[in-house]
Amino acid sequence: MSSNETSQTCDPGATWAFLTLRLWLGARALLSGIEKFSEKVTIEQPLRDATGAPDPSGAVVEIQQKVYGLSHYHAIPEALTTKLLQEPLLPQSLTTAFLGSLGYTLIVLGAMLLLGICTRCALGLMGILYTLLMAGLLLIHQEDGVAWLGIHAGLIAFALALSRHNRFALTRKC
Amino acid sequence: MGRRQFLTTAAAGAAIAFARPARLLAGDAAPSDSISVALLGVGAQGRVLMEDTLKIPGIRFVAVCDIWDYNRQYGQRYLRKFGHSVRAYHDFGDMLEKEKDLQAVIVATPDFWHAPHAIGCMKAGKHVYCEKMMSNTIEGARSMVRAMRETGRLLQIGHQRRSNPRYLVALNDLLGKANLLGRITTANGQWNRAVSADLGWPARAAIPADTLKRYGYEDMHQFRNWRWFKKCGGGPLSDLGAHQIDILNWFLGGPPVSVMAAGGNDYYTNHEWFDNAMVLFEYRLPTGTARASYQVATTTSAGGYFEQFMGVEGTLKISENPKYTSILREANAPDWEPWVRLHYLQPWEAPALAPTDSDDAVADARETAELATYGLPVVLRKPVHQPHLENFFNAVRGKGKLNCPADEAFHSEIAIFKACEAVYARKQIQIAPEETIA
Repeated sequence: MSSNETSQTCDPGATWAFLTLRLWLGARALLSGIEKFSEKVTIEQPLRDATGAPDPSGAVVEIQQKVYGLSHYHAIPEALTTKLLQEPLLPQSLTTAFLGSLGYTLIVLGAMLLLGICTRCALGLMGILYTLLMAGLLLIHQEDGVAWLGIHAGLIAFALALSRHNRFALTRKC
Repeated sequence: MGRRQFLTTAAAGAAIAFARPARLLAGDAAPSDSISVALLGVGAQGRVLMEDTLKIPGIRFVAVCDIWDYNRQYGQRYLRKFGHSVRAYHDFGDMLEKEKDLQAVIVATPDFWHAPHAIGCMKAGKHVYCEKMMSNTIEGARSMVRAMRETGRLLQIGHQRRSNPRYLVALNDLLGKANLLGRITTANGQWNRAVSADLGWPARAAIPADTLKRYGYEDMHQFRNWRWFKKCGGGPLSDLGAHQIDILNWFLGGPPVSVMAAGGNDYYTNHEWFDNAMVLFEYRLPTGTARASYQVATTTSAGGYFEQFMGVEGTLKISENPKYTSILREANAPDWEPWVRLHYLQPWEAPALAPTDSDDAVADARETAELATYGLPVVLRKPVHQPHLENFFNAVRGKGKLNCPADEAFHSEIAIFKACEAVYARKQIQIAPEETIA
């Protein structure tokens, strides 16, 4: 290891800068992935007063509850899925496979970044994933989404540039 | 008070306290027993009640009665599909004479027949569920209350909102327990309905003229469209308004003290009753005076139907149709969050406002800021008449009290009769307290 490299990898500011990016991108991917398994469902239950006693009218109330589970999986909003599947430049089978794996991929990549497992590799894959997403959104004219992903791509590129300052990671290779 | 007088008074008090209020609760059928029921009047409303009654366990239709063969056969065949083998009668007296085991009768005949039919049934020992209006005359309605008291039979009037859990929670919990509206000063209601053609009939199914005359109709057109004729029905304030004016009275705690109104035959040329009317009621509440406006329109439908109660701390807009229901909180009102946490209220996400033409456009300086809006999360997963019918049959079984006994419904009858009178009198009419007592 050269003295120059040693001084760069021991730069506490760069280390914290990279750690911040790693945590931000990791948490963002992990939570985005988990949210794809959530849904707001309506449930019915008896109306109860402050003591827990059922209302004398026997009234039943409808309340919205957020639930998680594999059966609630949705990669992107229904309207966008329909548009993507109708896009002639996107092969339907690949689009379906991509959307079907998006949530799982985000969770895995997010967890890898948070734990520091194959960090560079995870960042690279995340860059590819967001680029693919960007391409799909561009084709269906979701310009806001494209800009949003552009910011993510910049953060990933910046993180890759700082990745030699990686600390607090389970694996140091790749 | 002397000892003897004290004992007499005490005994009378005990008798009152322990006597079963027959008008509310019957209990002459064991809870597990099925109740034998007849449907008197198999027209449009009768069919709705028949359909909803079929959904209630333990109810056995044994007879249908209607002067029109067409309706009678429909009822008999329809009920047969659901395993109810019923006998069909042309005349209700004949039915009462032959159906000895009959326990209850659902009366859904035209308004001017309600009093003779309901009274006849009660005098024959049957409990009665009678569609509103009670009658087309005040005296008719009063005679029904008297018969209910004299016979000790149950007489439930079909103001079905009184058994709707959405209305019960709104009244007892939101307005009562939580007092979310504060002092109510204003109320309003409306039922706007689109123009519709008069009802027709298959030519081959016309009732013979002499039969029509015997039962009080001039001709087949009047028989089918009785609601528009003064000797048969009460017009739109009675047909549509009765439900909502009943809610105004129920929620405001009693009948109004005065009424003024305007209305007229603005569109239809062959109806006796007015098409559209606007009514102003005045109520004396323990907290002060409240005024209520009511509009019924049979020539335009936008806005639908609802009742609205406006207090110094909030407004409740409620309808049998949940999409017209909302609760608005005034900025100065106490915190409503505890009621949201208990699910008595549900916050509404405000829809995005339409962009204004100019960024510097401002509201009138006198305008109150937009109010926070809430929904009523109570749901009714049954047809709207079913809970009221269930309440009636539960009372027949002795398992509950009537939600709308005739003497309470009479308060609404008076308000509606007086409103109709005010339309023609074109002046304010006072309603004396003694007039509201049957």
